[in-house]
Amino acid sequence: MEESLISQGLSLMVFGMGFVFVFLTLLVGVTMLMSKLVVKFEPVAVASPKKVRKNIAPAVAAKDDELVAVITAAVHKYRS
Amino acid sequence: MDKLLDLWQASGIYNLQPGQFVMLLVGLLLLYLAINKKFEPLLLVPIGFGGILANIPEAGLAFSAVENALHFAQPEILSNLSAALGISSTEVHAISEAYHTANATDHQAAVLAAQDGGYNNGMLYNFYSVAIASGAAPLIIFMGVGAMTDFGPLLANPKTLFLGAAAQFGIFATVLGAVGLTALGVMDFSIQDAAAIGIIGGAGGPTAIYVASLLSPHLLGAIAVAAYSYMALVPLIQPPIMRALTTEAERKITMVQLRQVSKIEKILFPVVLLLLVALLLPDAAPLLGMFCFGNLLRECGVVDRLSDTAQNALINIVTIFLGLSVGSKLSADKFLDLTTLGILVLGIIAFCIGTAMGVLMAKLMNKLEGGNSINPLIGSAGVSAVPMAARGSNKLGLGAKPQNFLLMHAMGPNVAGVIGSAGAAGGLIKFVG
Repeated sequence: MEESLISQGLSLMVFGMGFVFVFLTLLVGVTMLMSKLVVKFEPVAVASPKKVRKNIAPAVAAKDDELVAVITAAVHKYRS
Repeated sequence: MDKLLDLWQASGIYNLQPGQFVMLLVGLLLLYLAINKKFEPLLLVPIGFGGILANIPEAGLAFSAVENALHFAQPEILSNLSAALGISSTEVHAISEAYHTANATDHQAAVLAAQDGGYNNGMLYNFYSVAIASGAAPLIIFMGVGAMTDFGPLLANPKTLFLGAAAQFGIFATVLGAVGLTALGVMDFSIQDAAAIGIIGGAGGPTAIYVASLLSPHLLGAIAVAAYSYMALVPLIQPPIMRALTTEAERKITMVQLRQVSKIEKILFPVVLLLLVALLLPDAAPLLGMFCFGNLLRECGVVDRLSDTAQNALINIVTIFLGLSVGSKLSADKFLDLTTLGILVLGIIAFCIGTAMGVLMAKLMNKLEGGNSINPLIGSAGVSAVPMAARGSNKLGLGAKPQNFLLMHAMGPNVAGVIGSAGAAGGLIKFVG
């Protein structure tokens, strides 16, 4: 009985530890593959939103300038 | 005068047994450690208080209806109970034994007989059945942990998963230690008990409670207290081992900054992990399934309300009931026992071996990669205690060389440890459950 308990413990250690390593090794492989695929198909996913925002901001500012100029002109005309 | 005598005989002092008194002191000690020493207060306050409630004499808060009926031992109820269980003896011990070994039908009949006699389940017993016996609370906490986990550092450097795997060696070494003690005749653990004790080395509180509730519920109180105490002691236990196993030069290694991880990778990772679990290890599916679900809630970005609930309100509610339920298992007859001492000793050994293996694995990986790219200090974070273990690595790194920030590098193995210990738990349940 006691012998078998020890051997049960030993086999649990070998199989359990082996299993954890196999599982995590596979996970490493699958994760790397996934990252490669993602980077391949979506190379600039992180960088793009910033650019768009930068383009929008000056445009709005330019329009504002125009608007201010028009209003100033109108006010001048009205006053004169 | 008779009334006064009745009052005295119904009082707690009259009925207090020595074991209960000691357990009340243990409960107070846990409260002291939690409040004054800040040892995992979120859990040890409920556990300590639950332990005190469970040991109030005559209140029977931690007992089922039948156990309460047996405690008061009124003759007609005892005969009803023995009839329900189909035995002839009306002696308390015989009924208790029959009740614990009865099949579901007789069990139900006994419960109904006790309730007819006016006895009900204690409050803590109800909490325990709902939160732990059903397996719900540890799994909901795991979902919350998933919702709090950022897999970014792990995705940036997937090889750190090996560190999380190596640190699980502590679990299995301790299983071997526990069966060894049994073989030597020092303790008396079954292989299930040994597996449940070993999982303390995974340093994940909910994982330990989940495995113990499945494999050996009678050791749950001691295992949960040991697991959470050692998580609190991470900053004391790990650094000496880490210093002993690394050289000054190794501790000074600066690691290159991690790459940026895209949002799509973070969304895909929990799904990939879940598929792998589904294909390889269905026994780990409850733990890792809830973990992945919580993480997907966090990363997908369209259910922020659910993610917020999972990592704040819900996990707090469940923690309260989990703590009280664990406390209800701190009864004198189960806790005041040589076994508890054995569990505490084996638990800390498990923890130390896990830490050492993580560091040694990191050293090996460093050697294989040219000797100057992986700081072995991050290996100790492979035991799952998030984020205490990673903070410990960071602190030692800064101590060896200012500006040597290892925190983000250590978070990789740290969350890998959570995955690894859940995988190991699934393996243990599969092999001995």
